[in-house]
Amino acid sequence: MVMKPVPWQTGEICGPDSAKSLNKADQLKRTFAKSKKPLLIVGSEAASMTHGTGDMIDYAISLSEASKIPVVATGGAIKAFIERGYEGCKSIGAMELANYLQDESWLGPHGKGPHDLILIYGIPYYMQWTLLSAVMNFGTHLTKVSLGRYYQPHADWSFPNTKEKQWHDILDDILDVV
Amino acid sequence: MKKKAHFKADEARTALGVFKGLEVRIGEIVDDEWDEPMGPTPMPSPTGLRSWDHKLLSKYQPSYMPYCQVCCLCTFGKCDLSGDKRGACGIDMKGQQARIVLAAANIGNAAHLAHARHLVDHLIDEFGPQTNLIQGPGTEIHAPVSRLATGMRPRTLEDAAIILDYCESQLAHTLSAVHTGQEGSWLDFESKVFHVGMIDQISMEIADLAQISTFNFPQADPKAPLVDSGIGMMDTNKAIILTIGHNIVPAASITDYIAEKKLGGQVEVGGMCCTAWDITRRDPSAKVVGPISWQLRYIRSGKADVVVVDEQCVRTDVVPEAQKVEAPVISTSDKAVMGLPDRSDDPIDSIVEELVSGKIPGAYIHDHHKVGAVATKVALAVMPKRRKMKFFPTKKQIQKMAQDCKKCSECIRSCPNNQPIMEAVLAAQTGNFEPLRDVYRNCIGCARCESACPNGYDLHSWMVVAAEKDCKDEIYKLRTGRGAIQDTEIRSVGQPIVFGEIPGVIAHVGCANYPGGGEDIYEMAEEFAKRRYIILTSGCAAMSAGSVKDENGQSIYERRGGEFDAGCVINVGSCVSNPHIAGAAIKIAAIFAKRNLRGNYAEIADYIHNRVGAVGISWGAMSQKAASIASGFWRLGVPVIVGPHGSKYRRMLLGKKEDEEAWTVYDARTGEKVVTAPGPEHLFYAAETVAEANVMTAKLCIRPNDTSKGRSIKLSHYIDIHENSYGFFPDDVWKYIRRETDIPITLKDKILDQMKENKWKERTIPDPTLLKELVMGGGK
Repeated sequence: MVMKPVPWQTGEICGPDSAKSLNKADQLKRTFAKSKKPLLIVGSEAASMTHGTGDMIDYAISLSEASKIPVVATGGAIKAFIERGYEGCKSIGAMELANYLQDESWLGPHGKGPHDLILIYGIPYYMQWTLLSAVMNFGTHLTKVSLGRYYQPHADWSFPNTKEKQWHDILDDILDVV
Repeated sequence: MKKKAHFKADEARTALGVFKGLEVRIGEIVDDEWDEPMGPTPMPSPTGLRSWDHKLLSKYQPSYMPYCQVCCLCTFGKCDLSGDKRGACGIDMKGQQARIVLAAANIGNAAHLAHARHLVDHLIDEFGPQTNLIQGPGTEIHAPVSRLATGMRPRTLEDAAIILDYCESQLAHTLSAVHTGQEGSWLDFESKVFHVGMIDQISMEIADLAQISTFNFPQADPKAPLVDSGIGMMDTNKAIILTIGHNIVPAASITDYIAEKKLGGQVEVGGMCCTAWDITRRDPSAKVVGPISWQLRYIRSGKADVVVVDEQCVRTDVVPEAQKVEAPVISTSDKAVMGLPDRSDDPIDSIVEELVSGKIPGAYIHDHHKVGAVATKVALAVMPKRRKMKFFPTKKQIQKMAQDCKKCSECIRSCPNNQPIMEAVLAAQTGNFEPLRDVYRNCIGCARCESACPNGYDLHSWMVVAAEKDCKDEIYKLRTGRGAIQDTEIRSVGQPIVFGEIPGVIAHVGCANYPGGGEDIYEMAEEFAKRRYIILTSGCAAMSAGSVKDENGQSIYERRGGEFDAGCVINVGSCVSNPHIAGAAIKIAAIFAKRNLRGNYAEIADYIHNRVGAVGISWGAMSQKAASIASGFWRLGVPVIVGPHGSKYRRMLLGKKEDEEAWTVYDARTGEKVVTAPGPEHLFYAAETVAEANVMTAKLCIRPNDTSKGRSIKLSHYIDIHENSYGFFPDDVWKYIRRETDIPITLKDKILDQMKENKWKERTIPDPTLLKELVMGGGK
């Protein structure tokens, strides 16, 4: 395992800007404190990513409930939320989202925006990479935090490629920080 | 019609003598026999349809996702374009992204156009310039794309050459626009993307028309032969010649030679990628080994005794890979010589001797007449020795080698699909090969894992060994490419398509860079075929669609008809057959609506965009060719969906459903502006999952012109697929209801509630057009 802030998929290097490494939940304290209207984005792979005794859909629900963050699911991930009885989730395509997030006045899928912070994970690595590239270049009003296990250079904060246990531990700590 | 003719010959032998470097220009040729009036834009320049392009691009604005933040195309740079910065030449980030999209579309078109030019020149040499171009019975409107875009109806190879002259001039212009200090506006870059996409469609149409006319391919034949496909179908008791690429000419010389020498009992020919389709179109006894992504696995199996490559999508390491299994390689195209010595002018037996003895790993032979004899003789000579060789390691050997795995994860990091290769190797340490077998099923055959492995493991080969049984079971029957759609078929289905009663025409095209294996193509095709959409296929996607058997052991092509009709699955052929799909949409406008095609691009594209519920899907889109093919559909207003890897094309064309102005059309009857539902909502869209692609496909088939019955049918499918895939009733159905008669009857209560909640108001069903000049009375 490469514990470095380098792109997980080795060819996906980017330009001059790249994300800061997220090694402790406390690093996000200030970001969360500053944010008034965050949005949690959860992709199709979340249901197959385990976390504790559940998966990363359960984690999204916990995170959303802990902090009243609205959740938007991409690629059909909403089905897993509905199956768990969680009704606050909205559905949108990842590419539609990449487009809307460039618009400073977009009110978001729940109409609770404009958002100032996005938390994101669960979209296939390379697709999340491109989505975040759109936001980094054209959605500069947003702070971007990648909560996936692998380094996403186009975020502002991203886990470096992280060992699974450490990743889960920090995710749990984030629930307290948020 | 007046057109300019120009032809060149390196050497021409005539009654007057031998002319070297002959070049003839004829000012005008008049096609007096065609009484269809010429439209406004025959052979448009790169800005000839700019106004139409801008209409589409204002509705579907580019959403850029830069692949990198710098430009490194000239020595001013690298220039940092991040933020609001501009490069030394003045370009900004959006302009640069659009420029790269145009570069990709140009490259893709160059591949198809050079292919077409090679075919046409070769066929003129073989058969003469006056050879008739024939698309087949029931295709009076032959070459609809060329008619529409150029105003010409190509009736001979000479006509085809003239059309290619036009295409080449346009490609030069659009390529030149990419140069530093040329185009600077993202909008105009994008318009040129559409232009080169249109040129690409013409180039491909000419290529396929030329080969259909001269190579004895099925001609618009719904009952084109079912052919053998799959790795397990290849008969290893015979010498095997593997052909890879897209250009039929060298492969045809092989099947011709085998037929002429009656060697069919001793040699067989298999193809990969589009050459596979074209050799089976010419000779149904040839076989389709598989799509582009199977190249490495089949070469490494050692079963191919000779590998013959032509052009496009050939693995560039084919020579060292074939050397590992002692299979000689013959390269045949000046575009892909592969570093091999040129033996084109040598006697056949001398080339054969050098290849059989292993003195040279392969040979470049551009004289296609020799390729058939050389490949066949070499295959027969090396086959007995090669059949005794073993090329893959045994499972025991793999298990032993796997013990040294460094657990560095580099194999996973290099895998485009993030496959758990390392975990599979660790399982192999214990003799458990099932995880490696699972990886094989989703493997796209790139072998990047091997390049990354510090131990130099042949990981791709290990997967193939683990999946040995699956390889043997890969035995399918696919319907080879039929070519064009007949006018008579269009006559039968034109009205139900335009009215929406056949809910859509869906084309699965393109490459095999699948996110989760080729079965996804079958699943998507079957999902919509059973709902009575018309399904078209081409290229590698056509192979993947047929590479799943049902409980009766039948492929989708065996179970479903090959007619252009609801519920059928129609393989048109290779990459260059894609214009038959565009052509079917164009012919609907000509046959059903009696619109003139000739040089009348914008009107017909407007018709298709507003009326024909067609969607292209390229789930494994990988190449620049796929980009140019998609661009050709965009200019016709046909939306294209790609798989998640397609996001790497770095630009989507997306509508915003809440932007009413974008969905406003003219009612051609009254000239009034009418707000319609957002349909089709997007023009280019990468879907994350099959579920999302299915939902989006159903939605993108909706058109402003749908009748109430048609809209109701389309909405029923959209809602059903949405509920199955996402688990809830879609919340935007009310937007698509214009009158209560649009409501699917069984869902009336739910939809009425939604309409009430959203303060729905009845709307006019217009005779929709984006072109003011098409309003009755000329829009004045």
